[in-house]
Amino acid sequence: MQETQPAGAIAPRDPNVVMQLSRMGSFHQSRLSFMRILLRRLKRENWRFERHAFQIDANGVGHAVYTAHGPDHSYSLVAFAHDLPPEMRSDRVIATAWDATFTLFDGIPTDDDITRLGANIPKQEAGRVTDRELSVSRANRSVRLFEHVVSRLAAGEQPELATVNQVGYLMRTTAVYGSGKLGAADREYTADRPEFKAPFQIEMLSVYLTRAFVLDLVEYLAQARAPDTAVKIDPDLRRRFGIGNSTGLGMAPYLLNHPALISNWISARENALARVRSLPTASADAVLAFRQIAARAQLHARAWHSEHPLQIKKIAQLQSDMSRLEGHINGADLQTDYPWNRLWLWAEGALSLEGQEQLVSLLMEPYGAMVDDLADTMAADETTVYRIDGSMSVATLKELTEDIYGWALNIDWTSRSAQARVWYVSEEKLEPRLGERFEEPIEPYEQPLCPGRDAARMYADLKGFADGPVAAFLLKHPEHRHVVRRAQIAARYPYAEIRDNTIDATMLPIDLLRAKLAFFGACHFDPRSDRWVRINMFQHAPFPHEIATGNADDWTYPYLESATL
Amino acid sequence: MNWSLNEIESLAKKAARGSGLCWGLAEEAGKATRWLCAMGYPGADMLAGLLEQNDGIAYELLRPQDTSAANWTTAGSSLCPLITGAALCDLAADLASGREITLGHTSCPLLLYPYVAAAADMTGAALSLSWPGAVLTRCQGLSFVDADTDADLLIPAAESVSVAVSAEQRGASLRRVYRGNVGAQSADKLGFFANRTYAPDTPESRLAGAGAGLSDND
Repeated sequence: MQETQPAGAIAPRDPNVVMQLSRMGSFHQSRLSFMRILLRRLKRENWRFERHAFQIDANGVGHAVYTAHGPDHSYSLVAFAHDLPPEMRSDRVIATAWDATFTLFDGIPTDDDITRLGANIPKQEAGRVTDRELSVSRANRSVRLFEHVVSRLAAGEQPELATVNQVGYLMRTTAVYGSGKLGAADREYTADRPEFKAPFQIEMLSVYLTRAFVLDLVEYLAQARAPDTAVKIDPDLRRRFGIGNSTGLGMAPYLLNHPALISNWISARENALARVRSLPTASADAVLAFRQIAARAQLHARAWHSEHPLQIKKIAQLQSDMSRLEGHINGADLQTDYPWNRLWLWAEGALSLEGQEQLVSLLMEPYGAMVDDLADTMAADETTVYRIDGSMSVATLKELTEDIYGWALNIDWTSRSAQARVWYVSEEKLEPRLGERFEEPIEPYEQPLCPGRDAARMYADLKGFADGPVAAFLLKHPEHRHVVRRAQIAARYPYAEIRDNTIDATMLPIDLLRAKLAFFGACHFDPRSDRWVRINMFQHAPFPHEIATGNADDWTYPYLESATL
Repeated sequence: MNWSLNEIESLAKKAARGSGLCWGLAEEAGKATRWLCAMGYPGADMLAGLLEQNDGIAYELLRPQDTSAANWTTAGSSLCPLITGAALCDLAADLASGREITLGHTSCPLLLYPYVAAAADMTGAALSLSWPGAVLTRCQGLSFVDADTDADLLIPAAESVSVAVSAEQRGASLRRVYRGNVGAQSADKLGFFANRTYAPDTPESRLAGAGAGLSDND
């Protein structure tokens, strides 16, 4: 829910501005990203980590167990490493085997658990897990980098920095299933544990431990190949390896299917921005911290590569935005007269969407003490939020529709381009896909992932319906029930609804993916098409054994001193 | 087999949609099925039976005809609890202020309970749902069940069902569970209905639809 602002404070941004796909497709990681929330907690609570098992042979086949001990619970990543022939390392949609498969186990697994998991986890969707398991995931090697690193280490040499930077990770996950999938424990089962209150903490912990396993694995394989000469990776270079992720359309509907949750994510970020913009003055320390993080973000933008034409253009814009920001803040007064609000208002006119949304994240950086508590507001109790208030009047619902879906009421839905696309689920893989309404026989299978069009249809029927309770309207028009629900949720949760056409001919699914992945904390978005993106996670983060002494939060942008490496 | 509640809700929603319900009603059917399973009842089995029974029957023959009346009846042979439950919950404020509603012949009346419980939770009123042999009461976030046998609760249909404000909590309160059981036959039936929501694959859709096609072997 939106906060009440003190007098004179800047209000959070208008949902009609924030919830545009092009802007959501320009979001960046921030202090409120889920991986940063996780690492701050691991550090704050002195989590302890140990490797319980590492039974892997020289071919890289076997299993390993990495356990994280928190204040009240322990969690173990159980990793299975496989010897995957190259021809099996296929295109992700039809994959049935992987280089490594994982589960996050609730506690410390017994030998029996390992045997049970060994018969199921490697099969992924074809296997079955229990409520002792909290997630199921898999990863494939980056063939480009993996062999390079093993052979260099085996020869007693460090990997080449340029090659490491080119890829950024040794393995990339292609799915991380949580919350009840394949029989795993539902989120509700663990939601009362403080460490899992914020969203996606189970998945982030799993991926974080996966990164540690993969680095251990590559060093172990080098050692097995050449016991006399092999070396380990230099710790500074080692932290340059993140864990990759390849994400397709399966993730896209999530933002539409969890409106209250998404609203809470975005509200947290928007309230953080509003709090910073509302500061009448800034200390010299805060200004220095901002200048440094802006310089580091510039390095980050320069190190971002993509082969996709759309992203190449966006990266170029961001790089130019970061230079422009540097020029603007150079010598500018950032201490008095609502300095951050002045900077923000300048940015709205001067920077592209990429640059503006990067600035949102940068403005939060010096103010952890003021914004990090918003992480506690990002969860949502979705077990009650779906209920419809049937006593609302038809007139009120009509007004709500005009307010929330005004943009959609202005679209000509008879035009082919306005509803060119259909979201559907494929029979074969049971995963969401996007098709062409006027070219494929898929319309009968359409999923309700086009709230704008559906709201416009509802509005047409509302206009001709006598005033009275919505209950009567719904009895007559059950086909509008899902939109009534959405409208009522959006009335209570300001950022619940995307204010854009999700079935338009020009819609880019990668915008949806980016918005979600940015909240995870992902960097270096690299679209492989308009509906499939690769990212890097936890790059530069301290490893579990470094958390206690290392910097658990200030790792997401490259450090200035290493800029020339 | 032992299922997560998310799996049950997801399959139930798709099956309800596949059987012909609108998306909004199907979403709530998924929630209702999950709710019954969390109470320890075979909600998914009950849903499977209901969907099979009502397959192909038009909405107009399953819904209550006049919800302003004290007695709700349908133009068909039996009220559908998924549609009727949603209609009851939409009148939560009326129920909370003391309006009593009697339903005529209703299929699987236990499936009404999650909707009545939601109405109670939304309004803060204590509401009871009853038919001969069973009384369920929702009060202050707790569920109380009074029935001689499970069979009384799980009946395939009741001639008459009442919903009213409740002055007393009868029976034992239930503790929620986090897993559900779905019989193999029921899982197959629900899978059959859910399958109607999936588009058959074509070589084109396999590549274009998911956006893959580029090698991941690099």
